[in-house]
Amino acid sequence: MIVALSAFLAAGVRLGVPLVLAALGEMVSERAGVLNIGLEGSIIAGALGSVLGAMATGSPALGILIGAAAGLLVGLAFAVPVVWLNTDQIITGTAVTLLGLGGTAAVYTARFGATGAQLDVPQLDRLRIPVLADIPVIGPALFDVAPTVYLTFALAPLLGWFLFRTEWGLEVRAVGEDPDAAAAAGLPVRRLRFGAALFGTLLAGLAGAHLALAYAGTFTENMSAGRGFIAIAVVVLGRWRPWGVLVAGLFFGAADALQYLLQTLGWDIGYQLFLALPYILTLAALGGWIGRARAPAALGLPWPRTH
Amino acid sequence: MRSFPVRLVAPGFLLALGLSACGESESACRDLSEAPFCVALLTAGPVSDAGWYAGAYEGLLQIEQRWGAQISHQQTRTASEYDEAFLAYGTEGYDLVFAHGSEYQDAAIRAGERFPETTFIVSGGGRIADNVVPLIFTLENGSYLAGMAAGGMTESGVVGMVGGVRIPPAEGVFLAFEAGVKAVRPDAEVLETWIGTWDDVAAAKEAVTSHISRGADVVVHNTDGASFGVFNAVREAADAGDPTWAIGMNRDQNDIAPEVTLGSAVIRIEDAFVEITEAWRDSEIGGAAYYAGGESEVVDFVANPAVMDRIPADLLARIDSMRTAIRSGDFDPPRVPFIEGEEGYEETGAGAGGG
Repeated sequence: MIVALSAFLAAGVRLGVPLVLAALGEMVSERAGVLNIGLEGSIIAGALGSVLGAMATGSPALGILIGAAAGLLVGLAFAVPVVWLNTDQIITGTAVTLLGLGGTAAVYTARFGATGAQLDVPQLDRLRIPVLADIPVIGPALFDVAPTVYLTFALAPLLGWFLFRTEWGLEVRAVGEDPDAAAAAGLPVRRLRFGAALFGTLLAGLAGAHLALAYAGTFTENMSAGRGFIAIAVVVLGRWRPWGVLVAGLFFGAADALQYLLQTLGWDIGYQLFLALPYILTLAALGGWIGRARAPAALGLPWPRTH
Repeated sequence: MRSFPVRLVAPGFLLALGLSACGESESACRDLSEAPFCVALLTAGPVSDAGWYAGAYEGLLQIEQRWGAQISHQQTRTASEYDEAFLAYGTEGYDLVFAHGSEYQDAAIRAGERFPETTFIVSGGGRIADNVVPLIFTLENGSYLAGMAAGGMTESGVVGMVGGVRIPPAEGVFLAFEAGVKAVRPDAEVLETWIGTWDDVAAAKEAVTSHISRGADVVVHNTDGASFGVFNAVREAADAGDPTWAIGMNRDQNDIAPEVTLGSAVIRIEDAFVEITEAWRDSEIGGAAYYAGGESEVVDFVANPAVMDRIPADLLARIDSMRTAIRSGDFDPPRVPFIEGEEGYEETGAGAGGG
């Protein structure tokens, strides 16, 4: 029982962390008023970038950084038109998702052949924290994991401090709530939005890099498998707050882990219900049935408004 | 949870196809006088899976080489694109269209009515018309033999099966595999998990990890690109001192992780494509399902040569004699009926999925 619970928790953390990473980035972006549904494109670019980077340099750590940079690069294709040219955020985000999925497929097949191959990729090894990793049940799940997982856990309080305790954080939130007032107060609205959106894609790239080098251990086409879209739901369920996003992402991961556990145990019915559960809660959060979930007032709106 | 994003992506995926398509000519087929005929391939996933789709792409290339045919490949993403893709090839006058997966079967029937001059071949399909032909591989035969290998090699008595989307042809493959396991090891426990996608390599790895933690020491898959996650998980378990075997599916995948792979249940898809093309040129197909290979070797279980010394000789001999029995028709592994008119077939109206 203890063993099964421990394995379940570890699986939940493994499945949840890529969502949390991407969702934390999306949260910052949305706080500044930029809804990036092109996240998926940055994640898949991060995955391919990290694999190519790790293979070229022989270092998984450098691979992770290169993956994050690849996510940022694809993010530029979203943030530049959206922030500086006032293009529609939804349409641009859709295009960037397609660009990411199609572009990575093209690069991958050009580099590794049309019919695919197992790649010999240096993996990002787990970093075991002595003593803490020996705690029963939660130890292996939380303290014997890849460095990128610790980074994810550290990011939640860091971003909380940034958004709610610093001047910059206040400015980011201001341009997401009322860009006109922020501009009147002398804030560089577009530069703040640009920075927040790019930070979001950097974390999405990191999520992809983690997925490839610390989790799956390889790259395959479409391996992001919709996580960019799930991350957007995680932001909503987490109510645009760092701790909320952390808990919501891990909850999505736990629901996923639970359905694997139930299938493995041979329960033939109803595991799809556990997959649906986080979405039902997300809808409830949106509908205001669990607490107050209000999106930033200027989310998705271009600035300056053209009439 | 994984079909929702796909739907969001749907409206403009052709744009991405433009980026990822394999560079075949876009020109109207009829304008090319030197090509004897034109062949197209539709896949619902990337052909870089070293498996189900890769084999089909290989088959397309062989048809080009052998007959000098004009070829084209398109990857479709959603059901709404199936009709579009058929329409495009039908309009351009393609003679033969391979739709590689049962998910295409309903759209193929519609396309068949609209383009009577074109022959549509649906791999693993269940619906039939004069110019719509299901290409049936009976992978169950290879899968049953693979199951015997798993049953003979498992020490824990627990064997895992990780599948993509739960569709009748895929269920049949696992049904036969499980029967094969139990033929050799009647008390074996066989675990079954469906990840709901063909490409999610992390999900496949998670499912295998879950099986291994329940004691499984042989794991078979039936996915596409996600299979790399299966091999990685097995390799990691073996590296951690937990002897574990993987079994490949759809294509000879023995060299993906040679040190931990027991063997592969293979379909020589490329041979089947060439074979059915030949039959089509001789006007021998239409109005019925086409069974690839018959008693030849289109479907097989191929033990991994790299680990042959670790497989007991009597197990190999047992598999060999079963292979002979299956090919001669003395033994039929269990299967899930999914072809129109076949015994036990039930009209369900469901027609989703692939592999």
